[in-house]
Amino acid sequence: MTDQLSALTTIFTEFYYWVTVVLMFLIHVGFCMYEVGASRYKHHQHTLMKNTMLIPLVTVTWFFFGWWIYWAFPTGPGFAPSIMNESAALITDDSAFSAAWYVPTSDLMGMNLNDHISGVFWAAFLLFSWTAASIVSGAVIERITTFAFGILAIAIGSVFWTIDAAWGWHFDGWMLKILGYHDAYASGVIHAIAGGFALGILVVLGPRIGKFSSSGEPRNIGPRNPWLVTVGLFLIYTGFWGFYAACNIPIYDLGPEYGMEGVTFWTATNIYVTPTTLSGITFNFLMSLSGGLLAGYVISKGDPFWTYSSGLAGVITASAGNDLYHPIQAMIIAMIGVWVAYKLHYWVERKFKIDDAVGAVAVHGYAGFVGLVICGFVLNGYPSSGYSVGAMWDGSTYAAINPLGMFIGAIIMFFVLGFIPGWIIAKVLHGMGKLRIPREVELAGLDYQILEDASSDEKAVASASR
Amino acid sequence: MATVNNWIDHLSASEVQGAVYPGVGTEGILVLIGVVLWIGWHVVSNMQESKKLDDIARRRPGKDDWKSNSPDW
Repeated sequence: MTDQLSALTTIFTEFYYWVTVVLMFLIHVGFCMYEVGASRYKHHQHTLMKNTMLIPLVTVTWFFFGWWIYWAFPTGPGFAPSIMNESAALITDDSAFSAAWYVPTSDLMGMNLNDHISGVFWAAFLLFSWTAASIVSGAVIERITTFAFGILAIAIGSVFWTIDAAWGWHFDGWMLKILGYHDAYASGVIHAIAGGFALGILVVLGPRIGKFSSSGEPRNIGPRNPWLVTVGLFLIYTGFWGFYAACNIPIYDLGPEYGMEGVTFWTATNIYVTPTTLSGITFNFLMSLSGGLLAGYVISKGDPFWTYSSGLAGVITASAGNDLYHPIQAMIIAMIGVWVAYKLHYWVERKFKIDDAVGAVAVHGYAGFVGLVICGFVLNGYPSSGYSVGAMWDGSTYAAINPLGMFIGAIIMFFVLGFIPGWIIAKVLHGMGKLRIPREVELAGLDYQILEDASSDEKAVASASR
Repeated sequence: MATVNNWIDHLSASEVQGAVYPGVGTEGILVLIGVVLWIGWHVVSNMQESKKLDDIARRRPGKDDWKSNSPDW
């Protein structure tokens, strides 16, 4: 940086992403509070530690290979050529945004005076990775082993979500070119995939003891501490707001970027480098949150657990197109998503005996899926990229956003990269006898030993005279 | 180990070397150590967890026994 303007732009961008990372940390704080509030007392500490330990596990694997996957896989490989090097192979050459710069041995993956962006951008994506894993964490509480959850967290947080991000959340992603996929604030690339992954695990893991009666009727194992759940969800809302900012590129001159001679247009853009504004997405975030809350309150007849979750589900549903929607469109879309997610949750629970302890599959998976499908209709015809616009299935240019492409995209997110890998890995762990805790421990409580030790210490302290 | 011994010399060079952490050039070894620590963590924590779960399962506590262990503090 040799002139003040470029220094200001660069350091503003560096600081911008840094702030979003700190805000997004609140998502994880919220998930931890939410899960502990939803679990029973005898499982509290294990529940907390399970979700906490995904932080280091996903972080180190994100450093070792997750970030590399994002930059290497936009072409598939083999589905559509990169606009940088016109090859459909993995992007590992010396082009500008190649994965070659993000191998863990790269000198950009550390303190580097010539690079102010890699670390904060890496961290912004990493916080998305934690979220993906944390969504799964809530669904499986009170009966999964920490070992199995660690493996599954790495799989969703550092492998499968980053593949879907490369495919559908990267300016060079093949899903944009062939399908016209558009998912500005991650209805699919975070939420649908994590919901699908959780569902795949739940099918193998089975319900908590006592969740279903002998006749198959589901029983409510309600949140032990609704206030902790409430504050947790408020914190998730707050972090999600930061997530929205993190999904944008804060300042970009699209004139030269699009090759428009003599045109200067400074703006914020979404991850696809198409224009949006932080101001506009603020309208939409709040209106979709409101739509979700309004719908959730009515559908659940004022149940706090579902009303708060519906606020989140509302934002998730509208997120795919919240870079372009009108605020009232965002509100209505949120309401539709909440209705579908709520109804599907109970239908799947009864029909397939799925015990999703916190409604994660519904709030994230079903709402995310529906959000993608709706986006295909409402944004039908918008360019999925500013670089070049071509026909669907073309592959060498970018298809416009369209209903069929978005529906196929939703299937890829929820089932292909979510449900199927989750089911397969859970099956393998189950086959190794490592997936589920012993029945005796589930009944006694995962914190049994901790509580017994604490009780013993308490008695010793109480009887001490000095 | 130090990559920089004099900031004035370093920053006035015709091409400033960006990486300034100690041991530039040893990244491969560092990554190898990191991977061993990561895998090792899974192995050790899995052994600890298995032992803990087996111990509790063997004792077969009742489903309400934890209540008598719930401390007041």
